[in-house]
Amino acid sequence: MTETAPSSSVDIPDLFRETDESRLYNQGLTPLHPPQKSLLRLRAAIRAAILVILAGTGDFFLQSELGAPGGYLVGAALIVAAVLVFILPHRIYRRWGYDMGTEQLRILRGFLWRTDTIVPFNRIQHIDVAQGPLQRFFGLSTLIVHTAGTHNSIVTLPGLATADAEDMREVIKGHIRQDMI
Amino acid sequence: MSDAAPNVDQLTDPLDAGEPFQHLHPLSIMLKSVSLLGRNIILIGVLYFSLFDQNIFYTGLAALAIVAIVIGTTALIWARFTYQVGKKEIRIKSGLLNRNNRSIPFDRIQDVSLEQKLLHRLLGLTTVRFETGSGGGEDGALDALKLTNGEALRDTIRDYKSGVTADAANNIPAPEAEEKTPLFAMDNRRILIAGVFNFSFILLAVLGTIAQNLDFLIPEGFFDPRHWIETISQQNNLNGLSMTARIGGVIAAIGSLVAIGFFSGIVRTFIREYGFRLDLADTGQTGFRRRRGLFTLTDMVMPIHRVQAAIVSTGPVRQSFGWYHLKFQSLAGDQSGETDHSAAPCAKPEEIDPIIAETQIAELPDGLVFEQVDQAFWWRDAVIIWLVLKIAALGLGFFVHTGFFALILLAVPLIAGQFLNWRYHQFALTENQLFVRSGWWKRKLTMLPLRKIQSADIGQSPLDHPLDLATLTIGIAGGSALSPLKIMDIEIQKAVSLRNQLLPGQTRTRERPVA
Repeated sequence: MTETAPSSSVDIPDLFRETDESRLYNQGLTPLHPPQKSLLRLRAAIRAAILVILAGTGDFFLQSELGAPGGYLVGAALIVAAVLVFILPHRIYRRWGYDMGTEQLRILRGFLWRTDTIVPFNRIQHIDVAQGPLQRFFGLSTLIVHTAGTHNSIVTLPGLATADAEDMREVIKGHIRQDMI
Repeated sequence: MSDAAPNVDQLTDPLDAGEPFQHLHPLSIMLKSVSLLGRNIILIGVLYFSLFDQNIFYTGLAALAIVAIVIGTTALIWARFTYQVGKKEIRIKSGLLNRNNRSIPFDRIQDVSLEQKLLHRLLGLTTVRFETGSGGGEDGALDALKLTNGEALRDTIRDYKSGVTADAANNIPAPEAEEKTPLFAMDNRRILIAGVFNFSFILLAVLGTIAQNLDFLIPEGFFDPRHWIETISQQNNLNGLSMTARIGGVIAAIGSLVAIGFFSGIVRTFIREYGFRLDLADTGQTGFRRRRGLFTLTDMVMPIHRVQAAIVSTGPVRQSFGWYHLKFQSLAGDQSGETDHSAAPCAKPEEIDPIIAETQIAELPDGLVFEQVDQAFWWRDAVIIWLVLKIAALGLGFFVHTGFFALILLAVPLIAGQFLNWRYHQFALTENQLFVRSGWWKRKLTMLPLRKIQSADIGQSPLDHPLDLATLTIGIAGGSALSPLKIMDIEIQKAVSLRNQLLPGQTRTRERPVA
């Protein structure tokens, strides 16, 4: 966190310059737990499989009903599926980053639509640590913090090792105060 | 379970044992039945025409049965609905088959409002609503109590929240006797002014909806423009009219539209704001107490420390006459569907100042320099508007009708509007407050104490990356989820440093706000 907490706030923008070290895709924040990449890939694979099946069905009907030359739809779907499974998960993963400061949680995500959220610990109302079946398989958990704000009332941080998520929860819990609003 | 639970609770919390569980006012059975029956009149009408073949006897019988069922059910529900006012919480037990035992701690109640619909007012009853700010929905309502009971309940909660114990509260004489001068009130003339600026076409929309739903009464093709063009071009009498008469007709049509707009705005404003009165309720916890309404009288108390931000809005015309609308953003939304609590719908700055002075929000300091956002705010939109309109105009113009080329002219007002919006989108930061101005037509000045900021986002869309711009979105409790407070299109460096100033960062000593 030392990089993002300089004494004067003016230094921070350096991190946003797309040069040298800040070429790090998530500005040097803590990356998600590596199995998250596999989880993203698995989810993408499921989505890609559905897409290919749909395209295959469509192709079949186009061929049998209309006599159109087959294969184009499936071909296109296969290309999209390859992008979804082999290229995107890595790129999505490396753009995620979080930072547990001493007073606040920072979450960075996305590239084209980049969002950089800061939630001060003492503004957090309550915290969930959630885990779905696929996440359990990879030993991952999602940290969900609820704020009183109407915008950003739920801030989620997926892809944490379950132990880390629980540690973070304990840390944040110590800062929650009653009646902040 | 339903019978055992209260006993257990009373044992564990002996303080609460004093107050017994109470029923709502018996007349509320009648009130609810009436409103339920009102909805069922249509059903009876449908039965009359369809099933009973317009036989008045069977219909009457069915109506009686429905009345009996409705009243019986309502009475049963009433009998199974009890509430208990404890020292620290209010407990509500409800449900015919699925028993629900809800406890609402006083600590969690954001504000209490009393609402009196027309029938309630005639019977001297009131609906007490509790807002806890959980997910927008209604959290607890007692419909209905005697007005005095409702007021007593509200005062109990207010006293609790101010830390006054019940005994001490009893010693304080009831403050209802003397009515101090209100913080802000509107007479009929003022409401009329507010109504004029509330110009709206809602009445027209309502008429349109009625027309759509009752379209069997209206000749076929009434809403079809082709029908009208045909009819009008066939009628020679129109062609025979002089140019001035035709222009006069158009002006009269526009004039009547405008008149409807003004009229509906005034009527709506009167119904909502009639007898508007804002007091400082300083019994126990200080709060704003607002009473208003022509048919449905509402009486709401909002604790001052729950005020998240102050919003002063106006419009170009209104501002030139010096009228402003003061709203407070609070966790619980307003009953009337507004997202913010209206504190002074139509007021001069010198009337607004004393209201804001009661909150912990500081007024706009003199000579505060507002910063403009990046010019890209308007020129980027201008480019997009221009491109879209050009494509639409060319496409439609070439392939449909040459008249569509004129579509490109729309770009002028749209771009001008966006430019004006840019001029009016500004922000300024003082030591502990953020000021954000936005909108040219709907001018809005948000005054936000920094300690009320819940979270801050820096967002970049694909169009922001090449220009190194970002939008700062600030999470505040309450307000509209669709339009959060935003500072659009500022340089990314500026956004980052601004956010660092907004949030009490690690390098600063954390100021512990006194809630």
